[in-house]
Amino acid sequence: MISRRLWVIVSSLLIAALVLAACGGGGGDAAQPAEQAADSASACPEPNPRMEVTSTELNLFVWTEYIPQDTIDCFEEVYGIRVNKDEYSSNEEMYAKLSAGAANYDLVQPTDYIVDLMIRQGLLQELDKGKLPILDSLDPNYLNLPFDPENKYTLPYQAGTDSIVVNTAAVETAPQSFADLWNPEYAGRLVMLDDSRAIIGMTLLTLGYDVNTTDPAQLEEAKVKLAELAKGVKLFDSDSPKTALIAGDVDLGVVWTGEAVVAQRQVPTVDFVYPTEGSILWQDNYAIPTGAPHADAAYAWLNYSLQGDLFWQMLEEFPYTNPNTAALEFAKTNHPELYDAYMNSTITNTPADALQAGHRIEDVGEATPLYDQVWTEIKGG
Amino acid sequence: MFQRFRENRGLQGFLLILPTLIVMIALLVIPLIMTVITSFGQRNADGGVIYTFTLENYWRLAGFTPEGWDDLYLRILLRSLWLALQTTIIVILMAFPLAYFIARAPERRRNFYLFLVLIPLWTNFVIRIYAWVMILRGQGVLNSTLGMFAGMLNLPFQPFDFYPSQGAVLIGMVYEFLPFMILPIYTSLEKIEPNLYEAAADLYANPVRTFFRVTVPLSMPGVVAGTILTFVPVIGTFVVSDILGGRQVILVGNLVQNQFLSARNPPFGSAASIILLLFTLALTLYYTRRFGLGEEIAAG
Repeated sequence: MISRRLWVIVSSLLIAALVLAACGGGGGDAAQPAEQAADSASACPEPNPRMEVTSTELNLFVWTEYIPQDTIDCFEEVYGIRVNKDEYSSNEEMYAKLSAGAANYDLVQPTDYIVDLMIRQGLLQELDKGKLPILDSLDPNYLNLPFDPENKYTLPYQAGTDSIVVNTAAVETAPQSFADLWNPEYAGRLVMLDDSRAIIGMTLLTLGYDVNTTDPAQLEEAKVKLAELAKGVKLFDSDSPKTALIAGDVDLGVVWTGEAVVAQRQVPTVDFVYPTEGSILWQDNYAIPTGAPHADAAYAWLNYSLQGDLFWQMLEEFPYTNPNTAALEFAKTNHPELYDAYMNSTITNTPADALQAGHRIEDVGEATPLYDQVWTEIKGG
Repeated sequence: MFQRFRENRGLQGFLLILPTLIVMIALLVIPLIMTVITSFGQRNADGGVIYTFTLENYWRLAGFTPEGWDDLYLRILLRSLWLALQTTIIVILMAFPLAYFIARAPERRRNFYLFLVLIPLWTNFVIRIYAWVMILRGQGVLNSTLGMFAGMLNLPFQPFDFYPSQGAVLIGMVYEFLPFMILPIYTSLEKIEPNLYEAAADLYANPVRTFFRVTVPLSMPGVVAGTILTFVPVIGTFVVSDILGGRQVILVGNLVQNQFLSARNPPFGSAASIILLLFTLALTLYYTRRFGLGEEIAAG
């Protein structure tokens, strides 16, 4: 009798512990399979140049699903450095951890608008360009952008847009502008990024306002308009909006470049429309946090992982707009089918006029809570 | 000296609880004090905290805005409470028969049944909720099964829109918290002396009467304990709503999370979590005053 009661108590405690562990979320990542590393070992390109590194570890803090496992395996193989990877799924999450004092990361991947905020907060260190010969491989169109005018702190990683995705097989008339999304025909079939700045920004564009407005009256107007659309949004998802699109749960919406590419590979009728108001442009970057314990390994990683003969894999695995000229050159000669697919796709190879018409999200400082307030009111119903 | 230690029961007790005490102070008391302090602060332009003393955050939560009164945050809190209440009631209704069945099963089977209740908990909580997406989505397991049967019966079939929806959220919540109700109710039921049933029978109580006059009252401690274990965590849980509800709505947990992430407004987020904490505490206190603490919590 007593022992059974004890058993129940112990098992209840066990469940509580499991649930708490589950709530705590990710943390460490899965160990990579050793055999796979051995497999690709022979194929690893030589580092050019090989850097002097004394560190034996490198701690990456990067977006989920954004670095090919091959690249990590090769870096470990070539440099004999252990790579630890933590992941995040929003800039805010990364920023919150870093500003709360997480001090053991050597590289982060902030998106444009959060870069200037991080620089102001002293969270990033200036790059030593003498140690970055890889800079010559990068397309100058992605350098010297407003958030880091001289690339003192960041290197471009990949870029893309928030535009309209539509499954043309399921939707009779595809929207041509963000404003078209309000068409009642689309209600209940929409997927939207769960990103207050992007979605409120898109609404501001339909009203003819700036995506970075700090005017409360304009935001109020956008709120009223967006609330109307929100009723017809089936899914807000920033983790993997493509999944619902592929499964047919939704037929159209606003997503990132890479999500649309992958959805299109599975469902060829998926199309990506650059809205007449202009898309929202963004760019992810590499940066080294202040006080990074293995900065030397970080420089070695930047030069090696961005090498054309490694970075071309991104075209296959994480197909966004690729600012790496060397990688595109390498793919052109060695993987022409990938190169052609990349160049011929208007999703990855953003047309010049779409880039021209695009808008960039910037940090709005004092007005940040205003945007959140709008978002809360829309979803607070 | 060792001799004196052996005689000093108080010191022994203190040393035994010391590890727990340190953990509680470091991970509960200190963060809580910091949260209270932050909640009276202000946000700076970059999302840092200016430590002052202002009640602004609490006023905003209460709905006082420069434009007049707005019950936005109250509605969010009420929505969370309503979901918690629905979940708890359904969970009690589902857990009771199962717990009763297990408690009345032959003794050697009981542990096996309890084991079955616990097995799903070996898989990560979030993964199990994603499994429900696979089951409920338009082309999911449930719809294809229904479609297959409809096909066999030559009935027209239109896939149901189970996911994402608020109904799916409720299903996920019930599924998630069911074991936490089964275990305490089982423990209560299992403790009931068989003599009491005999006594009831001797006094000409029919089975229905016995159930309502003996079994139900004596199982109340388990129901109370299970309710606390379910209701309180459900108020703050938002993962289920995010995954199965398509993030169409904000629960109080989302509200707090958003303040620390996208809004970069820790003072307001702190105030919101303090209010949630006080509210939950008040509810729990009222409930336990009214119904007792639930022996199962006191015992285990």
